Formats: sequence, C-alpha cells, structure tokens
Amino acid sequence: MTGVPGLLRFMLRRERAALPWWLLGATVLVLVQSTQSQELYGTPEALERLRRTIGSNTAVIAMSGPTRLLDSIGGEVVFEIFAFVSVVVALMNMFLIGRHTRAEEETGRAELLRSARVGRQAPLAAALALAGLTNLAVGALLTAVMAGTGLPVGGSVLFGAAMAAVGVVFATLTAAAAQVFENARAAYGAVALVLGAAFVLRAAGDVGSGALSWASPIGWGQRTFPFAGDRWWVLLVPFAAAALLVAVAVALSRRRDFGAGLVRPRPGRAHATRSLSNPYALAWRLQRGSLAGWAAGLALLGVAYGSIGDSIQQYVEDNPEIAEFLPGGAADVVDAYLALTVGMAALLAAAYGVAGMLRLRGEETSGRAEPVLATATGRLSWLAGHLSVALAGSALVLLAFGLGEGVTYGLTVSDAGQVPRLAGVSLAYLPAVWLVVAVVVLALGWLPRPAAVLGWVAVGYCSVITLFADSFDLPGWVRRASPFAHTPQVPLADLTPAPLITIVVLAALAVAAGYAGLRRRDVGY
Amino acid sequence: MTTSTEAISIAGLSKSFGRTKALDGLDLSVAAGEVHGFLGPNGSGKTTTIRVLLGLLRPDSGRVRLLGGDPWSDAVALHRRLAYVPGDVTLWPGISGGEVIDLIGRMRGGLDRRRRDELLERFDLDPRKKARTYSKGNRQKVALIAGLASDAELLLLDEPTSGLDPLMESVFQQCIQEVKEQGRTVLLSSHILAEVEALCDRMSIIRMGRTVESGTLTELRHLTRTSIAVETARPLDGLEELPGVHDMVLEDHHARFDVDTAQLDTVVRRLAPLGVRSLTSTPPTLEEMFLRHYGEVQP
Repeated sequence: MTGVPGLLRFMLRRERAALPWWLLGATVLVLVQSTQSQELYGTPEALERLRRTIGSNTAVIAMSGPTRLLDSIGGEVVFEIFAFVSVVVALMNMFLIGRHTRAEEETGRAELLRSARVGRQAPLAAALALAGLTNLAVGALLTAVMAGTGLPVGGSVLFGAAMAAVGVVFATLTAAAAQVFENARAAYGAVALVLGAAFVLRAAGDVGSGALSWASPIGWGQRTFPFAGDRWWVLLVPFAAAALLVAVAVALSRRRDFGAGLVRPRPGRAHATRSLSNPYALAWRLQRGSLAGWAAGLALLGVAYGSIGDSIQQYVEDNPEIAEFLPGGAADVVDAYLALTVGMAALLAAAYGVAGMLRLRGEETSGRAEPVLATATGRLSWLAGHLSVALAGSALVLLAFGLGEGVTYGLTVSDAGQVPRLAGVSLAYLPAVWLVVAVVVLALGWLPRPAAVLGWVAVGYCSVITLFADSFDLPGWVRRASPFAHTPQVPLADLTPAPLITIVVLAALAVAAGYAGLRRRDVGY
Repeated sequence: MTTSTEAISIAGLSKSFGRTKALDGLDLSVAAGEVHGFLGPNGSGKTTTIRVLLGLLRPDSGRVRLLGGDPWSDAVALHRRLAYVPGDVTLWPGISGGEVIDLIGRMRGGLDRRRRDELLERFDLDPRKKARTYSKGNRQKVALIAGLASDAELLLLDEPTSGLDPLMESVFQQCIQEVKEQGRTVLLSSHILAEVEALCDRMSIIRMGRTVESGTLTELRHLTRTSIAVETARPLDGLEELPGVHDMVLEDHHARFDVDTAQLDTVVRRLAPLGVRSLTSTPPTLEEMFLRHYGEVQP
C-alpha cells in the first residue's frame, strides 16, 4: 500500500480536465429534470393524471423505472432520470478506473511508477480511492441539486447515496475486469456489457414482477424508492456487492503478472485479407468497431423512442404543457414527436461523424499517418479514406435509428410501412450531418491543431440551436447558422429538396476547400 | 556532378517551425547505389530532412531532388520507388504485425510474398500478434520487414535499429549488405557507429540543421587527428611547437599526443632523427570524430 497518498494526488491532478465535465453533466441532467418535472407535474392533479397515463405504459416503464416512484413529485423525478443518470455515472466510473489501472499498465506508464517506492496493490487502491471520492462528490452534488430545487432533504440524500452506490458498484466491477483483460478496451467492453444487461434486467423486472430488477445494480438504486418510502436498507446490497468485487479484484491482481491479464488476447491474422490494401479499407478497419457500437446504440435509442410514439398522443392530451416542447404544438403530435426524436438522433449522428473524421488528426499526431503517406498513398486518398467512413458511417448510424424507431412504432400502430417511412425520414437530416463533418474537414485542412475543438463546438452549437433555440429566444441569424435549422422538420413538415441541395453543395465546397488546405500544409505538426 | 546518378540531392535546405529553425541551409548528396550514413546529434534535423524527402513537410527554401523528381509535388509517383522505415514506430493497436506489413506493401504497389516470409523468419517475428502487444523492438521489426520486403530502389531509414538486440542488429546489417549488392540506394540515419562504419560507403554529419562534414570514412579521418604514442632514444623536446600537434603528454623519452592528420608527415620527419624505439599511431575512431563534432561549442 506504500505510495497510495502520492498516487492519489497525482491521479486527482490528472483528472482536472475530464472528471469535472462528467460531474457537471450528471448534475445538470438532474437539475433540468427536477425543475421541469416540478413545473409540469407539481400539482397533485397533474401527478395523478401522469400516473394514469404512465402506470399502464410498459414502454415508458421499461425506459424509466418502477411506478411506485410516481407516489410523489420527488419520486417522479427519480422515475424519469435515475436509470439515465445511472448509465452516465456508471460510464464515468468505468473510464475513471480503466484509465488509471489497465490503460496505465498497457502504455507502460505504470511501470515507471511501480519502479518507485510504490506497493504492488497501490495503483489499484489509489484508483479505488479516487473512485470513492468521485462517487462521494456525485452523491453530494445530486443531493444538493434535489434539495436545492425544493424536494425533501431525506429523499434527496437517499437519491444521492443510491446514485453513488451505482457508481461504486461499476467502479469496483471495472477494477475486477481490469485484472482479467490485458487491454483496457476489452475491459470496457465487458463492463459495458454488464451495464447493458443491468438496464435490460431492471426494465424487464419493472415491467414484470420486479424480481429481475434485484439482479441489476441500477434496479438496486431505484428500489431504495427515494421520496416514495425511503428504503435505506436496500443500500446494503450495492455496498456488499462492491466489497465482494474489491476482494475479487485484489485476489485476481495477486495472481497475475504486471501487464498480463487472466485472459490471453486472441492472436490476429498472419496475412492481411485481400481487401486490406488501400486507405479506404484501412480507415474502415480502424473504425468499424466504434461504428458498430454507435449504430447499435442509435438503433436501441430508436427502438425506445418508437415504442412510446403511439402513446404520445394520449400523453399530451393528459399533459397539455408538454405540447410546448414539440415543434408544431398539439396538432400532429405524433409527427412532431417523431421529427423531434429524429432531429436529436441526427445530432448524435453528427457527433459520430465528427469523431470519425477527427481520427484523421489522431492518425497524424500519433505518427501512424507517416508510414501510410510514405507509400504511394496521396493526401487525397488518405483524406478520402477517413471521409468516406465518416460520411457513410453517419448515414448508417442515422438509418439505424430510423429503422429502430420504425420497427417499434410500426408494431404499436400495426403498420409495417412505418419502417421504410421512418428510415426515409431519418435520411432527410443527413445533409445537415454531412455539413458538420465537412466543417471538420475544412478545419483539418487549414487549422489542424484546433480542429478537434472546432468540430465539437460545431456539434455543440447545432445541439443548442436545435434543442433550446425556442426557450432562449435567440436572434434569427444565430439560429440560421445551424444547418439543422434549414432542414425541413419531416415528417411534421413536407420534404422540400431545395434547402437540402444547398446544404449538400455547401458541404462539398467545404470538403474541397479543406483538401486544398491539406495539400499545402505540413503533415504531422 | 551529374544529377542523373544522384538519388538524393539537397542544396541549401531550410525549414522552420515557428521560431525554431530545424534546418538551416543543409546540403546532402547521395549517389545512386551507395549506402549513405546520415549522422548527427539528437535534434540536429535528420528526421526533418527525411520528412522533407518524403514530401510530408514543405521546404522553406533550398533545392531538393529525389530520384530525379520533386519530393513535394511528385510524392505519390516517387513513393512507388522508395521504402521508408521510421525510427519511432507507432502501429494501429488492433491490427496484427503481418497485416501491417501486407497493408504497407500493397499501398506502395505490391510486395514480394516470398521475401516477406523469409524476412519474418530471419527477424524472428510472430506476425499474428496484435500491434498493441508488441514490444518496441518488435514494432521496429514490423516496420523494417515492411520496408525491406519491397524492391524499392531507394530505402530511407531513420534510425531503423533502435530497440533491436545485437543479434537482430547483425541480421539487419546482412540485409543492408544484400540491398547494396543489388545496387539499391540507402540513406541510413543512425547513432550506432559500428553499423555506419560497417555499412556505409559515404557519410554526412549534420549539426544544428547544417552539414558539417561529408565524405568517405577515409576522407573524414583525414580532416581529423591521429593519436601517436612514441618512445625515442634521445629526449623528446620541441615537439609541441610543431604545427598541428595537440594535447602533448611528455615524459622525457615517452610522449603521447594528437596530431592533425594533414601534419603527420612533418611530425614523423622530426621524430626519425631522435631514434624511434617504438611508435603506435591510432587513426581516429568514428566515435572520436563524432564526439568532436557533436561536442563542439556553438561557433
């Protein structure tokens, strides 16, 4: 255990950039939910109407939590946000533990530290202590937000504690997984799988008898029922599980060598397949894993949104305040809802496209672009390789959402035609997504160093405009700078090709200009 | 000097990054078919020069010709005729070594499958491992095999053996000998002097972005000092006044000193009448030449 305090200080120092954003994100989510819910369902009558609509809607229950939470307005907030924030907190803990344990060993940085006066278990202990502090902060922040927005203090503390408990379970789970796998990505994959299973189990349990929810760390948190009975003893379950997982992690780490895992990585191919012979195939090979993840994630999101599409009509009739959030108001409620959800999916597709396009810069700064460009690969095909993946990938991601939403929405309204309809609808948003990608290409050509920042600012800007323009009353030109503002809000509005063609032409011009810059500049700096 | 027999010809090449002057009027000339050593301390501009030759960096000023073409504007066409091995090899973590070798080879325009497998054997590399699990030495081998498996007429090697063990170092030297026998050209940037001494026909030493020496090892030696240890019958005196004599350690009949190789003749004439009993003359090692150039204080 020698060296834990020093390591912990060092870890905190390194976390200054990333961790505060995660904490801020979780806090803002809860803050927005608490204020919105209290505004919409603050009266007993409104809450009663909500209970009637939602109490029998399995899709909403599957996405949220057990209906017992709807007993009070505080519980309603927990009902809506707990599962979602759980996922955020779990991922935060997963990456936190992963990057301070396995990723450090993988890069060899841990070797340097371990050669100093640092005990064998010290990096693991320090990482767990860091996670402990982080989850304490999560608990404190969320308690403060809930109590600060006027909810009872007791329930607020329990809510914070339950969320921290979810975080602790996933931190310790990652600590154990980091001993098993030789590389951090594989450990993340395993933990993400457990997280997915935890969500599905609690969804099935909450819809059914509730038994399956007890197999899920997210279920444990929800079944403390903050503001709806305040069952403190349930917290024993996650903390006992965390203690067990720490014991497993320590036992496993004693049995393995530094840098090794318990699972040997699978060997790769001795020869490249015939197709891996050009920059397009290379870019595809590098990004296919993350593309599959994004497509699966958006397909699931589509399934979830689609499943409640039909009940949205009833829901809005019961809760007229909701209509204000929908473009087009209470008329054509379902189409307005579908347009809103596809628009949000398009923002996520743009985020994928930006991440995919920025791989080019990552290749450059890591030095991996150099051997590629030293072959007969010109800069045009190098760029085109990554660009093709970003463009086709964002189309695929968006289409996956449209198909997912079409399938569940089609099932609820018994209309198979919804599948091609929503797939087509989602593609109407593609030109705007592509323009965001093209802006990244422009930055990569002329301003490579701040390209990543510029790309994410573009995504953030479009998101703010799309989601909040109405609430903030922004001047017209600020709105019009987002390509999403020019995209017809299908299926609510009619599809007019003229703006879409303009956006595609602008995207093509931006790509051409970006290439002109890339041709002229030094590579690798 | 005709440009047609020159694989690389650089004159007055300058390149700055912001305020840092990486190259400051560098000259380099590599004849077709020779193995040319490219030497210089860390940060002297070797890698920058090679990146300019690869068309990754655009020169600020100076004339650069590579295989008769312009490395910036003819990059793709020229790259079909050359192979490059970086000194600090980073690979794609999830792709196996064998796949990387095939990919790089194919993107250059095809590789010799038989030669590739033979090199894998000689360098004792497991091509099935994912790149993230390779050690530094093994990553270096991947890049070396990818470069050597080609039949490119020019090899640009930037400290290609960093991280290799002595056994692999000797395999590398054999491979370069074979390349040389096939009449191909090699630019070898290296810190391993034994390697340069064994392989290179000519060499250039650069410092602070400028070429300070260029020539064969014999020519370079001529410009430096020879160490002499001598014992004579009559006392040795007055030697230190001779031009070109340095660092004299005198003990009446024994003397140890360095002499500028150009002045060797004068010194030996002066010694002869003193009745030489023993005399050892040591030509400067490459190490000594290096230390002299590398260690020189800024002019």
